[in-house]
Amino acid sequence: MFVTDFRRDFYDVIQTERVLLFVASDVDALCACKILQALFQCDHVQYTLVPVPGWQELETSFLEHKDQFHYFILINCGANVDLLDILQPEEDRIFFICDTHRPVNVVNVYNDTQIKLLIKQDDDLEVPAYDDIFRDDEEEDEEDEEQSGSESEGSEPSGKRTRREEDVIERTLKRRQRREWEARRKEILFDYEQYEYHGTSSAMVMFDLAWVMSKDLNDMLWWAIVGLTDQWIQDKITQMKYVTDIGILQRHVSRHNHRNEDEENSLSIDCTRIAFEYDLRLALYQHWSLYDSLCNTCYTASRLRLWSVQGQKRLQEFLADMGLPLKQVKQKFQAMDVSLKENLREILEESANKFGMKDMRVQTFSIHFGFKNKFLASDVVFATTSLLENIEKDASGTDNFIRALDSLSRSNLEQLYQGLELAKKQLRAIHQTVASCICTNLVISQGPFLYCYLMEVPGPPSSLGQDTLAPPHGRDVLTPPQGWDTLASSRGQEALLAPTPASSLLRARQTSSCSPSRPPWACSASTCCSPLFVRPRTSAVSCCP
Amino acid sequence: MGLAPKPDFRGRKEGGAFLAARRRRFRCSWTRVEASVGLAVGGRGAMFCEKAIELIRELHRAPDGQLPAFNDDGIRQVLEEMKALYEQNQSDVNETKSDGRSDLIPTIKFRHSSLLRNRRCIVAYLYDRLLRIRALRWEYGSVIPNALRFHMSAEEVEWFNHYKKSLATYMRCLGGDEGLDITQDMKPPKSLYIEVRCLKDYGEFEVDDGTSVLLKKNSQHFLPRWKCEQLIRQGVLEHVLS
Repeated sequence: MFVTDFRRDFYDVIQTERVLLFVASDVDALCACKILQALFQCDHVQYTLVPVPGWQELETSFLEHKDQFHYFILINCGANVDLLDILQPEEDRIFFICDTHRPVNVVNVYNDTQIKLLIKQDDDLEVPAYDDIFRDDEEEDEEDEEQSGSESEGSEPSGKRTRREEDVIERTLKRRQRREWEARRKEILFDYEQYEYHGTSSAMVMFDLAWVMSKDLNDMLWWAIVGLTDQWIQDKITQMKYVTDIGILQRHVSRHNHRNEDEENSLSIDCTRIAFEYDLRLALYQHWSLYDSLCNTCYTASRLRLWSVQGQKRLQEFLADMGLPLKQVKQKFQAMDVSLKENLREILEESANKFGMKDMRVQTFSIHFGFKNKFLASDVVFATTSLLENIEKDASGTDNFIRALDSLSRSNLEQLYQGLELAKKQLRAIHQTVASCICTNLVISQGPFLYCYLMEVPGPPSSLGQDTLAPPHGRDVLTPPQGWDTLASSRGQEALLAPTPASSLLRARQTSSCSPSRPPWACSASTCCSPLFVRPRTSAVSCCP
Repeated sequence: MGLAPKPDFRGRKEGGAFLAARRRRFRCSWTRVEASVGLAVGGRGAMFCEKAIELIRELHRAPDGQLPAFNDDGIRQVLEEMKALYEQNQSDVNETKSDGRSDLIPTIKFRHSSLLRNRRCIVAYLYDRLLRIRALRWEYGSVIPNALRFHMSAEEVEWFNHYKKSLATYMRCLGGDEGLDITQDMKPPKSLYIEVRCLKDYGEFEVDDGTSVLLKKNSQHFLPRWKCEQLIRQGVLEHVLS
């Protein structure tokens, strides 16, 4: 069931208990987890945190821990499957689920005792009504059928014939009604569950809880912002929803950070400040060179078609149009001429409009502490994602989780910078792979789908690609979900006009999937190659994870 | 002579100056003093109290808090030296008394001060060791690791047990019925609970209310401070500072 009053029905219940937190492996879940951890540490709630990258890990961890805890909190996993069926817990265990995966499984919605959903009901949930799906009088029907069966077996006096005929008619009517109801139920459920999408960020839900209890801080607000930005970067929510949520967060930001505007009473330079920015959409451009950032951001790389020679020419034209000398653009952004950096955003936006890139600027936030440290929300998202998906030799999934979780704290700046470097490598590798796939015509079109197989040793001969993507010795291949505008635009299909679909490479192993959501319905995870699925998107729809 | 908690090793210089002064004053009986000194120590250039200073230096070398092995040998040698000096003194005193020879008196005085010096050094050595053993109780709790137990002499072990008993009696009489464990929390803690991360697979770990927590690698827990301290010291858990 849905929890209406988060504070009373969720927080007050667990405040005196020990809880077990299951957290999925994505940045939104990490941010929600950090906010919840901060609240728990404030109120001395004893908890245990277990990272669960997939369904298998969730089941194993649950089996190990089920005797020790009564209250379980699941973050970004578990809402879209029948949880009680999978985990088989005892009667008195209670699950609190804060998940962005939609649609929410109907069993979870209508279970009154064990499953509590920490999901805001003003999200467009469209859960079917109870009576349409569940029917209480099924037992009566079964008894009737048994009775009718037993009656018809024995010998009957003819006096009861008419009554039996009436009974038979009644029963057939009931059976027909039942069949009709079942057919309708199937249709309703099919409509409800055919598309998967994502709802409000879990980090924002947790921040809301903190705000209701008046325990919200600037740090928690920053984590909520990062969670939301992660959803947008991974194309899990629409632009409209993103803008609405940014508006909500903007109010909180101005509430916490209004002292920065006042010249006399401003805080010291070491305090955290969050500021609203209408900044460029280029990935990591402030920590990289502008040229590299333009080449390796999905949006610009696909619009300018940078995998072809003409694309490179267009890039040069683009830079010339802005009046930025190549030498300046290729060096580190911080070292660029101040005169060029002054109106960079406006100049870029103007030129981008001419080259067909209308959404060059996006509303976002930046955090600022100390003299050197300034990050945009998207920078932090890229860094943390790259740490989460790092495939170093001895790092396991949980090691990466811990490292990524650490990098979100302000005191672990080295981890964050490490993440930024890794993110740069990853972005470069991805774009090289994509460019090679397109150039060597590996992309195959099948009806409304475009797909391409990436073999164990991918195309690009450069060492970058091989280190970050290639699974030597059969290890996992993981890349972050990226907007594959490139593929869409190369095919020149209508998909160009629609917002880009998101997709990700599956693990080469057969048993687990990238994120704990429903098992992929159309992708086969064979051990020798990982298929990559892309489909043109209509509205708030993304393909399988 | 007063007892100081920390031994000073100015003794060597003192001995040298003392000897030189004595030499200057009683030059006539110099040869006899020299001869007796040489006889007692049994080697050229060696001095009294050197062994005792060795003991002190050994303790001084061990870093603060560590307990080196009990130097049974050293103590025995010092005691032998003291016995030898004492016997020589005894015979010389008898000689002086009977023969009325006043030229032996400086030698007797010299040997006497060496004896006092030896005694001071040994007492300082033993006392410092006791202080270190006492600190062990506060750091490690009532059970000392075996390695350290071998470093203690039998008497020191007995002393330790007595100390433990006194401390336990004292703690029981504080804080009402259950007593108060004052060896916990030497510094006022910042928080009752701390966040810890598990570095290796440990297994089940019991918490206060009887239930247990499974400590698996890379899981994070928020547990009461006193429960985690043991495991942090062992290296199973790591305190996470955020």
